[in-house]
Amino acid sequence: MLRKLTPYLFVAPLMIFIALFTYIPILASLNLSFREWNFLSPDMPFVGFRNYEQLLASRDLWNSLWVTTLFAVLSVPLRLGLALGIANYLVRESMHVRLLRGALFLPSVTSTVSIAVVFSWVFSTDYGMVNALLGTFGLGKVQWLQNPHLALWVLIFVNTWKQIGYDIVIYIAGLQAIPRELYDAAAVDGGKRLHVFRRITMPLVMPTTYFLLVISVIEAFQVFTIVNVMTKGGPAGATDMLVNLLYEIGFVLFDIGRGSALAVLLFILLVGLAILKSRIIGRKVHYEA
Amino acid sequence: MKPENPILAGLALVAGLLFLSPVLYSIWMSFQTVDAYYAGELGFTLDNYARAVGQYNFARYLLNSLIVSGLVTLIGITFATMAAYAFARYSFRGGNFLFAATVATLMIPSHISLIPNYLTLAKVGLLDSYAGLILPAISNGFAAFFLRQYIRGIPKALDEAAYMDGATSLQVLWRIIVPLSRPAIASMALYIFITEWNNYIWPLVAVGKQDLYTLQIGLARLYRINPGEGLIDWPLVMAASTITILPVLLGFLLVERHLVRGITMGAVK
Repeated sequence: MLRKLTPYLFVAPLMIFIALFTYIPILASLNLSFREWNFLSPDMPFVGFRNYEQLLASRDLWNSLWVTTLFAVLSVPLRLGLALGIANYLVRESMHVRLLRGALFLPSVTSTVSIAVVFSWVFSTDYGMVNALLGTFGLGKVQWLQNPHLALWVLIFVNTWKQIGYDIVIYIAGLQAIPRELYDAAAVDGGKRLHVFRRITMPLVMPTTYFLLVISVIEAFQVFTIVNVMTKGGPAGATDMLVNLLYEIGFVLFDIGRGSALAVLLFILLVGLAILKSRIIGRKVHYEA
Repeated sequence: MKPENPILAGLALVAGLLFLSPVLYSIWMSFQTVDAYYAGELGFTLDNYARAVGQYNFARYLLNSLIVSGLVTLIGITFATMAAYAFARYSFRGGNFLFAATVATLMIPSHISLIPNYLTLAKVGLLDSYAGLILPAISNGFAAFFLRQYIRGIPKALDEAAYMDGATSLQVLWRIIVPLSRPAIASMALYIFITEWNNYIWPLVAVGKQDLYTLQIGLARLYRINPGEGLIDWPLVMAASTITILPVLLGFLLVERHLVRGITMGAVK
């Protein structure tokens, strides 16, 4: 009897916490999204789909969706393209390559708030590093974070700077898995470097690319910290990404119903994206050990 | 290893320094006086650190971050290892379903639970407490999944020999599985610690009392409460930022290889 219970006892603590703080909250969000509540009033009346209707009719939501999609579409290819190029160089073993790898990897484990604060200074108008550099070339000051056309690009830059080390490390592992003989054969055939890269490296590193694509798109749709610290979603909503909007509605306006409706939409969007991807690429990525 | 080409090595060094220059410069700036900084002069002072720690409570924030991340790591890795062991070694009714539910958490955006978790913890009076910061972060599906894969690679004959000698399943876990999984457990513990150390949105909503701020919240607030552009006390902010980066930076320098290996093991194969 006890013997039968053993595995359940081992998984119970983890499963209880997963249930309490991951799965039950999904149902709770769904429930709350059909109610009106401001966290203070004694009752929370059922209002049907009103929160969803209000959200879908609001400019804020469509702006957020647009800005977040733009962020993902612009930053993910940039990250992966740069990372593969750099990894292709850093895949060799030597002391200076190891140092460079370390330097590139460092930001990805560093505090995002610190990085956001440091780059707020880097891009600040009057005393920032970038404008100081531009100044030495005789160029005028640019309002990086106050200009609606530039702020999103700054966030894309900062996000890329922070995350690229992770992509590079993963790519290096993927590249190391490619059999050396293929390169040797290509060398015998006199293959040009670019040609070898396109015909051997790129296709064989595809599973890694898919893996990184999936996680970086999902990550891009959940960017919050750099937004909250650097721009608060501004100027004029130009960087108001989905999670930032969720935070504003839920924890600044305390509109629990509408905030929950947005959380549910975000959930559907991201899980849908994940399922869609695993459908398309399921056969090409292997996680099994 | 091929012998170093000094020119390439030099270029790599320069590239690395250039890449990290914003952070390096921020550390340098944290040792400048405000007046010297805005006047564009050179100075050296520890005053910014003294103010960050004394006047702005950063010693307390550092302690809070250590307590919260430390406990989340300890409890989280324990639960993950136990579950991973059961998933790897037992076939039991519902086991596949529970494992799938664990892996599925990797796809679920954590922000869906933000409002409900806030309401739950408010209801039981745990907002503004260490428990409120720690509890929602404990379950880690990725660590459980990763460790399960790792444990499956350990020969089962070792378990069986131990059972023959009369060991209990807890002893098998503790005496055989855990020692043999040490590198995997270490990299997952590190991963949990870093993730929790850098956690921002949850402490942002769950904590209002200043004495419970983690470093991330303390730093963001310090930067935000400074008045408008140009008047910011950057050297003070950078001292606080350096305090926030430093522990993870030191840890990183000690265990970089370990960490990289852990991350790569998780992603590729």
